[in-house]
Amino acid sequence: MVIVSMPAGRRVSTEADLPGDHLRIVSDQAPRQNENSDMARDDDDSARFAAAVLPHLDDAYTLARWITGNAADAEDVVQEASLRAFRSIGSFSGANARAWVLTIVRNTAYTWLRKNRPAALVTVEDLEAIENARTIPGDPGAETPETALIAETDAARLAAAIAALPSPFRETLVLRDLQGLDYREIAAVTGVPVGTVMSRLARGRSRLIATLGRTEA
Amino acid sequence: MTRSTLPDDSTMLIHAYLDGELDPANALEVERRMTADPALAAEYKRAEALQRLMRERLPREAAPDALRARVEALGGTKRPRIQPSRQPSWRALAASIAVTAMVAGGGAWIARGPQAQDTVRDAVVAGHVRALMASQPVDIISGDQHTVKPWFSGRIPAAPRVVDLAKQDFPLAGGRLDVVELKAVPTLVYRHRQHLISLTAVPAASAADTAPALRKADGYNILRWTEGETTYWAISDLGAGDLGRFVELFRSGAPEQ
Repeated sequence: MVIVSMPAGRRVSTEADLPGDHLRIVSDQAPRQNENSDMARDDDDSARFAAAVLPHLDDAYTLARWITGNAADAEDVVQEASLRAFRSIGSFSGANARAWVLTIVRNTAYTWLRKNRPAALVTVEDLEAIENARTIPGDPGAETPETALIAETDAARLAAAIAALPSPFRETLVLRDLQGLDYREIAAVTGVPVGTVMSRLARGRSRLIATLGRTEA
Repeated sequence: MTRSTLPDDSTMLIHAYLDGELDPANALEVERRMTADPALAAEYKRAEALQRLMRERLPREAAPDALRARVEALGGTKRPRIQPSRQPSWRALAASIAVTAMVAGGGAWIARGPQAQDTVRDAVVAGHVRALMASQPVDIISGDQHTVKPWFSGRIPAAPRVVDLAKQDFPLAGGRLDVVELKAVPTLVYRHRQHLISLTAVPAASAADTAPALRKADGYNILRWTEGETTYWAISDLGAGDLGRFVELFRSGAPEQ
């Protein structure tokens, strides 16, 4: 499914570049949680949860939306993932909250898909075939569009092309190019070796380039 | 000279090169291969264009407000018994607080008031926030005042008073230099459970001693008092009660000479 109705004016941001709504929400919340020192321990958990999860909620939702393919499913997944995160906040090391949150979201999303949309899942056999397939530009018949053509692609067409990728490529590309994770973080989130991340990115991008290079209908 | 461990698949490597994931030797090797192979260089250009396209043309989506409200409620209302680890690592401590601090601190600059008096407060808040955003909230990491005090002595005219409060559950985490009104001032960083307290010592504007006064800024509690020629600013996301206890302990504690 194509995602075209995204709010304008937002862009991919790095971790140090949080959008303004995070600023407002968490700073409003901080005093309330810190005022009652009698409940400090519970507040610590709540505060740790808020600090770990809330700043990454947009990333969580974005990833869930790209994995599940639609907004309603993504909401269910993020809600469920947040509950999991809340229950396990005590065992969270504190290092790299974003990768931690995204890992939970990803795992929740696939569990959710298995239960509710089994047809959307890539089977292990499919996956092996995908992983073993030759990189497309190596094929003589592959499209090799001009760089300028790629640069002119509109958002809807790009989103459709990404949505059409097999999920291992899609999630890897989203984590790398939309969410800015490095290979090591992506390997941790998706549970594969760094080398696999590298090959998935190469193949995923090659497929996208080939798709975008095809003559527009 | 590049005894390359690179796989033969040059096409794959240009993506790792694009993502800045290759070490310098391997990056050079990829550049060499691209120079020698125009097709490879063209593929790199396409990958680069695609990455730019994805970053610029696909805006990041925002979680719907209703979802955000539900997730916030999750953390704000239910209180299950989950024990946090007793001894959080320093990294864990810094990281768990850093996000809130960064976020709350954003408000500090946005909501800066017009009063001149507030410039010191803002600088103190900014110092605390900036420190929490950094990989280490202190310039010198030490729980030992015999290490921290000489570190300051080597950098500013007068080292601050350092009090050992480890037994009272406020261990010293270290120290750093902050800048207040273009002057370097010493800040001690203490720890309490998973919270950090920045205690900044600023030359007093007037000599009159004052008792600790509580104020709030951007979600932080701040206690300010003047002793002799120094005005102290204690800032933390700790509750006012705990911060007050810390300040009383510090004020009554024997300074380490």
